[in-house]
Amino acid sequence: MVFSSDARWEMVDEITRQTVTYGTYKQTLGAVLGDLTVKPLTGIPVAVAALYAFWSVFTSFAGELVTDGFMVKFFDGLWLPWFQAIWPDPGSWHYFLFIGNPAADTCFEAFGMLTSGLFVSVGVVLPAVFVFYLMMTLLEDSGYLPRLAVLMDTVLHRIGLHGYAIVPIILGLGCNVPAVTATRILETKKQRFIMMTLLAIFIPCGAQLGIMMSIIPDLIGVVILCLIIGFGIFGFVLNKIIPGENPEILVDVPPYNWPVKEYVIKKLWNRTKGFLKEAVPFVLLGILLVNLLYLGGVIQGLANLFEPVFVTWFGVPKETVGPLIAAFLRKDLAIAQLSIIPMTAYQMVASVVLVTIYFPCVATFVVMLREGWKELIAAIAVLFVVVFIYGGLIHAVGILLGVA
Amino acid sequence: MEHVDMKQENDRKITPLGFYFALLGLATLLFGMADILVWAGIRPGIEVGILEIAGDDFFRWAWGGFVMVCAGIFMLAGSARVETLQQSAKVVLGGVLVWVIAGTDIFARLCVAIPAGEASPAFLNSCSGFLTEFAPPYTPAMLLIPFTLGIVYLIRMHANDDS
Amino acid sequence: MTGGKTEMAVLVPERGTTVLMIGNPNVGKSALFNRITGANAIVSNYPGTTVDFTSGTFIGGGRTYTIIDVPGTYSLDPRDAAEEVAVRMLRDYPDAVVMIVLDATKTDRGLYVALEVMERGMPCIVAVNMMDAAHEKKISLDIAALQRILGVPVVATTATSGEGVRDLADMLRKAKVADIGAIAQRMRGEEPEREPAFTCGGCGGCGGR
Ligand SMILES: Nc1nc2c(ncn2[C@@H]2O[C@H](COP(=O)(O)OP(=O)(O)OP(=O)(O)O)[C@@H](O)[C@H]2O)c(=O)[nH]1
Ligand SMILES: [Mg+2]
Repeated sequence: MVFSSDARWEMVDEITRQTVTYGTYKQTLGAVLGDLTVKPLTGIPVAVAALYAFWSVFTSFAGELVTDGFMVKFFDGLWLPWFQAIWPDPGSWHYFLFIGNPAADTCFEAFGMLTSGLFVSVGVVLPAVFVFYLMMTLLEDSGYLPRLAVLMDTVLHRIGLHGYAIVPIILGLGCNVPAVTATRILETKKQRFIMMTLLAIFIPCGAQLGIMMSIIPDLIGVVILCLIIGFGIFGFVLNKIIPGENPEILVDVPPYNWPVKEYVIKKLWNRTKGFLKEAVPFVLLGILLVNLLYLGGVIQGLANLFEPVFVTWFGVPKETVGPLIAAFLRKDLAIAQLSIIPMTAYQMVASVVLVTIYFPCVATFVVMLREGWKELIAAIAVLFVVVFIYGGLIHAVGILLGVA
Repeated sequence: MEHVDMKQENDRKITPLGFYFALLGLATLLFGMADILVWAGIRPGIEVGILEIAGDDFFRWAWGGFVMVCAGIFMLAGSARVETLQQSAKVVLGGVLVWVIAGTDIFARLCVAIPAGEASPAFLNSCSGFLTEFAPPYTPAMLLIPFTLGIVYLIRMHANDDS
Repeated sequence: MTGGKTEMAVLVPERGTTVLMIGNPNVGKSALFNRITGANAIVSNYPGTTVDFTSGTFIGGGRTYTIIDVPGTYSLDPRDAAEEVAVRMLRDYPDAVVMIVLDATKTDRGLYVALEVMERGMPCIVAVNMMDAAHEKKISLDIAALQRILGVPVVATTATSGEGVRDLADMLRKAKVADIGAIAQRMRGEEPEREPAFTCGGCGGCGGR
């Protein structure tokens, strides 16, 4: 027996009437406060403050406390000198692979698998993703996320999405992999495609942000601004080009909840464990691979081959090729590698932006493939066009400003 | 509850409590504007007694200052007829924003205070070294904390009339 | 988002031992699922947390159940890719028991999907979750009446504290096909021919048997 939708609603109403009684509703301070966080006039300042708190805690904890306070001291002062002392034969290939540059003073410069690899993954990125995951968990569990969606609705409609697209964006700031699957909550193919493409191109993950914060603390603001502007411009363009609908939906806003302690701990632990199991080996492997390619002369060859594009079009040194290869595996590694190339501030910004936008990392690539290979191919095509145009655009702006 | 509010509205618009929050809001607003102005380069930094506005970086002073300005405006907006739930909520929200800024300031100091610092060979800071990190001068938001305790009273008031 | 254990769901042997958790988004399906199976599905306070299915096992009453946590859906006409997964799961497991999860504070929306599922003639059991939140909002639900009207076991639960979860798990084997025609008749005020099953008035404690 099948009913029409109206008949079903009638039955629902009748069942509810017979089983549910509503007590006298009394407004509480918490509820009124909750309402204030979705009204634009008060909600936007609250969102600005939330972002402030997020970033402030992130930089204080991951940057000042763990990385600068302990990890740098440990890795540069004890770990690296120890390895440099005990590993035999500084001129050999295995020294180059595992320890790196024998003259290095810091773990960034050394660039061996056991020195920089562990420093980058455990010393810099782990604390960063840890606080990032913690704050994201609080954001998710408190119920603020859907309210942010309501606030962002008008803005995101300009680029062919609706407010709820904030969910994959925020998840993507943690890691692009779950974010790609989370695009399933968007209604139309068009929205999913736009979101997935923009995610793969413009949203840096927590690991990337962590390493940026540690390497270019003064320039990270500019880098993020470049990414946001790019997100806006290309979202707008994609919305105009791609046919399809961008329907309005009502966001279902759940009540605020105090995050349940056990859930927060469990989620944090699972995510951190995932990072240790999946990211750390990739970083180590990445360094090994890049060093092997150096030994084989492949990177130098590619650098010479692409020199015209890099130097004249993007305005960055040709050595950037090496990090771009590493970026296939892990972007945090690639950015760490950029830090040892001598560059001007402009070149640094441009090359960090390039590393971020130019190609999704392997893990993201794989989940995108799972969501549909046709979309993946289209997204990659868009990506190459965007990298070329936007890279050139940044260079042009740099020239105009007289910094490039 | 509702008709009590109405009566108060007719009696007097600004109660002593409201006046207090108006002052607090005004102070917060001015501090916020000072944060931004110092960052923008009006002066190279202000230090008065235990108050310091360094204004040296965009994130803390311009962005954080904007949050303080909003907090001040919320408190001012909520101070008239502050006893009503709607108005209280605005004041409380303003207070929460001040707490966010102050809390992150304190957290930042804590994070700097725990490690020994680059110069020293040790890892953990000494006890006295730890404490000196918390010595004055303080940021405006930190100085405002004792004065925001009235907001706790406001929250308690509404928590009670709820049950 | 979950991925991990997906292959487990493919081997479905015995009838009535696969349980699909269907309900609106954000009603606490994943939280219940974790409670019942001890798994680690992601629980968050926003609709659309689960976008893929996850399965886990629960052993009770000598039977091994495969419980599948499914993305939330507002109806069986999918609106987005996550809801499509939910509908596809219902289609792929026609022999499954459906555990319909309702949010006690928003029963109407959930009942709509519940009726849609019942129309398909699948054996059902209803969990009314978030009882604590309903209590706080002074919403009271007559669980016994709901059980009488729907004619399937209805259990009140609070996934966050674990209250009622044991009952819910025990009640799985009492899941039964709802007689949608009888429900409609009851709604029209005509009592359908008396079912001996409901002589106790349905406290929920025994599933009405
Ligand atoms: N107060 C209360 N909160 C609950 C209860 N069960 C779950 N929650 C909360 O409700 C929110 C949603 O829970 P989930 O399990 O993620 O909901 P879901 O049905 O799986 O949602 P989707 O995956 O989006 O379909 C979480 O914040 C839980 O902590 C409950 O019984 N009482
Ligand atoms: Mg779920």
